[in-house]
Amino acid sequence: MMNPAKQHSRREFLLTAGGGAGAIALAAMSSAAGAEAESANPLATRPTHFAPRAKRVIWLFMHGGPSHVDLFDPKPELVRHAGKPVPESFGPVMTRRDVARNPLMPPVKPFRPRGESGLEISDFLPHISRHADDLCVIRSLHGDSVNHPQSVYQMNTGNVLMGKPSVGSWVAYGLGTENQNMPAFVVLPDPGGGIKGGPPAWGSGNLPAVYQGITMRPGTAPILDLHPQPEVTTEQQQTTLQLLQHWNRKHLQERRGDDDLSARVAAYELAFRMQATAPELVDLQRETAETHALYGLNDPVTREFGQRCLLARRMIESGVRFVQLYSGNTGGWDAHKNVAQNHGDYCRRTDLPVAALITDLKRRGLWDDTLLIWGGEFGRMPMSEKGTGRDHNPWGYCAWLAGAGIQGGRSYGATDPIGLRAAEKKVHVRDFHATILSLLGIDHERLSFFHNGLDQRLTGPAEANVIREIAG
Amino acid sequence: MNRFVLYLLICRVATCLVLMVSALLASGLVLGEEEAYTETPVTSEDRDHWAFQPLKRPALPALQDTERLRNGIDYFVQARLRTEKLEALGEANRRTLIRRLSLDLTGLPPTADAIAQFQGDKAPDAYERLVEQLLASPHYAERQAQHWLDLARFAETDGFEHDKLRKHAWKYRDWVIQALARDLPYDDFIRAQLAADELTPQDPDGRIALMFCLAGPDMPDINSQDERRHTLLNEITSTVGSVFMGLQMECAQCHDHKYDPISQADFYRLRAIFEPAVQVKRYVSVEALRETSRSTADSHLMIRGDFRRPGMVVKAAFPRIVNSPETRLSDLPVTAKTSGRRAALANWLARVDHPLTARVIVNRLWQSHFGEGLSRTPSDFGLVGQAPSHPQLLDYLATELIRRQWSLKQLHYLIVTSATYRQAGRVADLANSEPETHQLTARLDRSERLDPENEWLARFPRQRLDGETIRDVMLAVAGTLDSQQGGAGVRPPLSKELVDTLLKKQWEVDPDPRQYQRRSIYVFARRNLRYPIFELFDRPDGNASCSRRNQSTTAPQSLFLLNSRFSLQTAQQFAGTGLSLTSDQEAFIQWVFQRALARPATVVELQRALQFLKDQANRAQQESRPSGQLALPVPVPTRLNPYQATAYTDLCLAIFNLNEFIYVD
Repeated sequence: MMNPAKQHSRREFLLTAGGGAGAIALAAMSSAAGAEAESANPLATRPTHFAPRAKRVIWLFMHGGPSHVDLFDPKPELVRHAGKPVPESFGPVMTRRDVARNPLMPPVKPFRPRGESGLEISDFLPHISRHADDLCVIRSLHGDSVNHPQSVYQMNTGNVLMGKPSVGSWVAYGLGTENQNMPAFVVLPDPGGGIKGGPPAWGSGNLPAVYQGITMRPGTAPILDLHPQPEVTTEQQQTTLQLLQHWNRKHLQERRGDDDLSARVAAYELAFRMQATAPELVDLQRETAETHALYGLNDPVTREFGQRCLLARRMIESGVRFVQLYSGNTGGWDAHKNVAQNHGDYCRRTDLPVAALITDLKRRGLWDDTLLIWGGEFGRMPMSEKGTGRDHNPWGYCAWLAGAGIQGGRSYGATDPIGLRAAEKKVHVRDFHATILSLLGIDHERLSFFHNGLDQRLTGPAEANVIREIAG
Repeated sequence: MNRFVLYLLICRVATCLVLMVSALLASGLVLGEEEAYTETPVTSEDRDHWAFQPLKRPALPALQDTERLRNGIDYFVQARLRTEKLEALGEANRRTLIRRLSLDLTGLPPTADAIAQFQGDKAPDAYERLVEQLLASPHYAERQAQHWLDLARFAETDGFEHDKLRKHAWKYRDWVIQALARDLPYDDFIRAQLAADELTPQDPDGRIALMFCLAGPDMPDINSQDERRHTLLNEITSTVGSVFMGLQMECAQCHDHKYDPISQADFYRLRAIFEPAVQVKRYVSVEALRETSRSTADSHLMIRGDFRRPGMVVKAAFPRIVNSPETRLSDLPVTAKTSGRRAALANWLARVDHPLTARVIVNRLWQSHFGEGLSRTPSDFGLVGQAPSHPQLLDYLATELIRRQWSLKQLHYLIVTSATYRQAGRVADLANSEPETHQLTARLDRSERLDPENEWLARFPRQRLDGETIRDVMLAVAGTLDSQQGGAGVRPPLSKELVDTLLKKQWEVDPDPRQYQRRSIYVFARRNLRYPIFELFDRPDGNASCSRRNQSTTAPQSLFLLNSRFSLQTAQQFAGTGLSLTSDQEAFIQWVFQRALARPATVVELQRALQFLKDQANRAQQESRPSGQLALPVPVPTRLNPYQATAYTDLCLAIFNLNEFIYVD
């Protein structure tokens, strides 16, 4: 049995580490110091565990599962064996739609060496190819589920089940944010429709709600309820706000500066600042005509994704910690029927804007400490489906990292000769997450949150390894 | 941080390392090969943990000054305050009490009449009669049911990709409400949800109660239905462990629990109880437990929690640590049609000598009234959970519950009629200021300084309303709350941006606008999209049992209450209702304060509000927009010009945004 004094300290620990407002426990082992340094502002910037390579993140999430064997992972053997079934030596493989015995399908478009490095990228992506020397393509990524929602959850939260905190929430919880006028974690969903698995993909799970992804859109109403209803003018709202804040402050004073009440007074102030800041942030008219052209805003094909890429840069530049963009409506890159057509469409929409984002981050001096991530929830099978499509493949696929001082023009790891499974230097999703955190100066084993009697982590209880060849 | 906590953390890190190493070793093994499993025995030391001790009724502490104590609860709290050299603040005034009590028990604010009646009631039992009245209100169960639905990870859809509708799920929500309303004893409440089919087969609602076990998320279209069933069974086992016993069993699905004496075999033995009752069919959503035959299939321990790796055979049994002397399932009579395992489990949980069942539920009830439980980890009574601040009080309440035939209403009554619950949270709310104010202030200073987390309860803890209650209270003060009870979940309009995050036709708005003003408990609970105001104010997401909600304070909450269509519309109705009663400005302001805050406005507040009405009307006059573009009160007042009228809406909107409106002293 604990004695009462100990019990009390333990309670304080639970409250600091375990989830009250302003609860910060960056490092379980150093939470002795953490408890004292607890900040009243849960979004205040916080020190990293070690020197970070990146201070902020833009994650381009290609929802639906972009085909690695058609985009970033050239497989000459796949060309050679085209039309034949998967050789028996590859063993049985679990697929979502029973395509294991279907004939192998060669890449839909040719691959070519690009840049000085000669990194091979397919003709689907001519613009991104121009930046080949900046990209580090992980070709040995693998996950655990052949289903969309579970893989979307795993890629975002580390767990195939829904309801765990997303990477963006963990990062916001771990590092806070530099722009106190904005949320720390912003999500820019595809206007075409919801992703498979829905908003829990950017949820904060059991972390406090302040860390969840706030969805924003281009246009005049970027955040839900950011502006008063049309019947209420800005001046009218301000007078109302003055009255209620006056009474709230008096109420607070009569209650001896209670922390929760005081946090709520501050929340109204932030809400008010967001009303002014957010529209300015999403106002793309503040950008030059040249920038508009760069991102393809003048072309109806690239305009939509281009706007969101530009928006992401503006957010990052203003100090937002983590921005995630989704490409792909509910179906998205899910090319079951026709890879050429599906990926043709999505590549045309996104290729130029992504290249523009790289160019723009570089010329604005943001490249070296911004981590850019490109990837989906899984890749696609080397076999065909319905003749010209491909089924889901979580057993081996690609994602690339760039910026953040990462050496580009290279690939890391490899799939087997036909791109069916990760084979060399395999990177499980949790290794991928550990690496992302490490680039941000966070030790994935020390970023934890006490919940239900356990320290929860992004990478879970199983072993996760930082890819040292990437994160240093 | 003290050494003990540091020690715990070191242990935790150390065991994680052990886990990692063992995972590495295991990964070298061929799939399907059986790993040797040796179960760690439960030791007498394990049984020494407070929560596993037999439940005994403690004697009331001997105290000298008992004048201000009202029931047994106060004896234990008072004894502890003595030790801590703290003094309770004293009883709160009537208006503080009636607002607190109404919101706490029914989730609705007191009406002006109720306040006046209570303040005028000089009888010594006025408070107790108020409590009885509120406990008898149909709104009591509508409020309390939400606490249970959080534990039951209740939603009306599957979750995951398709998030398909579970057509009958709302019936379980109604069953919970009705069970609480008629005060179904807690032991029967457990029996119904685990084994109504075996224990009360004649009860037509039994099948509905059985939805508890399968109320969590599920993916009916998953490729491997074996994996699906495995995931469901493990989820049921973890949920039953945490909800009824306060045991965190989840991690024992892969390995022995690292702190608690719960082995992996314990986990799969408990799971074996449910195995005959969980059958899945591809593409078909699960609903209620259903056992159609006496199962003869063996149950297995699943190696590393992997559905493809059945290990040793296990027999259905209760967790060893709380099963002493041992009750064997095989000793129990079975019904003709089913295995009888769940009936045995339910009856075992409902035993009066079960060390956990009663302790766990009374702690939950305590938490619902004070914001925190006596143990602040209500679903973890294990070794890393938090020991109760008042262990004897917890046992006293647990034995009281059993004495009172497991009546939850009586336990609520006991708690809220205690002097501990009736105290003020600040000097200004005291019923009578004796001794002198400065002495009382010093008393409060001391308790805030020495007990910042308010563990010893020398003052009442201030609490924020949850999102569901905030919405209900807004509708109630506006006079538009629809009191219709029960039925399928209601879908009020949702902004296009949110609907767009869903698949098509996943939020079809109800055609009848009156339905939008139903109580929050009746709002459709879609697992993949919580209703905005609920989500903003920390409603759990329905993916796992939630025993204690987070409490966050965020800017989007403020934006919602200040700017949303719901807030503005409700403010218009609030103003309209007030203006249909009086056109006198002062009387209107007083009516608003009384209704929303359960108190009159002070002279200063009145002046400020009058000035505000004037300023807003002048500004509107200057802007001179056509009245069709103004947020006029509803119904539109005839005696005011539109610019004056819109100022009343503004005032009501401001009131919704007050801290005083959503916090309870």
